[in-house]
Amino acid sequence: MKVNKILFVSEFEELWLDALQSLMSLRKAGMNDVVFLHVISRDKVAMRRGAGYLKQEERKLKEIADIRFIDWAETLYEEGMEVVAHIVIGNIVPKILSVTEIEGVDLIVTARRKRAKLEELYAGSETSDLLRRTDKPVLLYNYLSQSGKVGDNPFERLLLGLDWTESSEKVLDYVLALKGAVKRVDIVHVISEKDVAKLSSKMEAQKLERKNKKRLDEVCDVLIKEKFDARPHLYIGNIEEQIEKGASEHRATMIVLGSRRKSIWKEKWSGSVSYGLADKSELPILIIPAEIK
Amino acid sequence: MAKKVLNVEDDPDTRTFVSTVLEENGYIPIMAVDGEEGMEKVKAERPDLIVLDILMPRESGIKMYHELKTDPSFKDIPVVMLSAVSKRTFLRSTAALTEFGNETVPEPQAYLEKPVEPEDLAETLKKILG
Repeated sequence: MKVNKILFVSEFEELWLDALQSLMSLRKAGMNDVVFLHVISRDKVAMRRGAGYLKQEERKLKEIADIRFIDWAETLYEEGMEVVAHIVIGNIVPKILSVTEIEGVDLIVTARRKRAKLEELYAGSETSDLLRRTDKPVLLYNYLSQSGKVGDNPFERLLLGLDWTESSEKVLDYVLALKGAVKRVDIVHVISEKDVAKLSSKMEAQKLERKNKKRLDEVCDVLIKEKFDARPHLYIGNIEEQIEKGASEHRATMIVLGSRRKSIWKEKWSGSVSYGLADKSELPILIIPAEIK
Repeated sequence: MAKKVLNVEDDPDTRTFVSTVLEENGYIPIMAVDGEEGMEKVKAERPDLIVLDILMPRESGIKMYHELKTDPSFKDIPVVMLSAVSKRTFLRSTAALTEFGNETVPEPQAYLEKPVEPEDLAETLKKILG
């Protein structure tokens, strides 16, 4: 796995230059190419009664995006990086997917996206739509709900939420590829309330605890061997809540989780920790799909 | 015989503008929408001059410029940069690339910052191509 090329999707309202600059720590992990994408929603230029297609509006919006991107690109070019840009009209998720394919990016960076309430009820948020449809890692920012500032290096202190599925292996591989950008890794596994309820004796509980601690230690050893500062942590309770608690306790700058593609209906019935945290967490979240190549 | 000028530019309006200037001044315009297509056209058409934008999809003008100037077959083709990216940034990027171990490349024959007047573009081309 590698992180050479990132796709930075910005609608300008929620993802600014400071978010982009905070990603420069990835240069230590080999990142050298940045692809900018700005998608102008069809609604802004679509046919209007009495006005037709708003060609002039399209030109104006493209020009605004171009000026912003040139300003950002100049900063990166001066550091010897390769920067390209796409300014397109359409629906955000399909456009992200097509540019990801065209450019062959290794990581998609974007802000959390919401739909109108009714649409969200049936189709989920645009974020979960994107996560369902891509096999690339997605880094989600949600910093406007906080102070409006992005930390200098979101990769500095990672909290890895591992559930021992295939996607956990992919999370570990990906974090190993980030070597150089990461200073500390806290590895968390949460024994869910549901699993605890199934236990019939204290001994069973102790066995479960020991088994999970052993697995956490094994992951920790892999990271330590690669010169990461890594610590294992075992929690019990609601998974989403415990991961957020762990992130706060260990002053994590980013949460890293694995995910498995689910249909919209399966997701609604069974829920998904990754998708849930992706929509809620205040911290940047990096979601690594199990399907990543 | 009319000379061939390749314009590598993603913006359709600017492509139309450059193409018109080229035709009005007796050159044969060849168009490409990004650096990747630009390199393909260079190999297929071997133009006499290239007018090159910088910020585009797929491959930037900076990368394409480096590819051209480090390829013995194409390094003598004159290049006119035409971009909204400042000349200072272009030169700094070139210096940064050299620092990262890339081969040093010469400055382009001319650097025009957008927007450019048609007469200025025509005059620049005439100076280089004669």
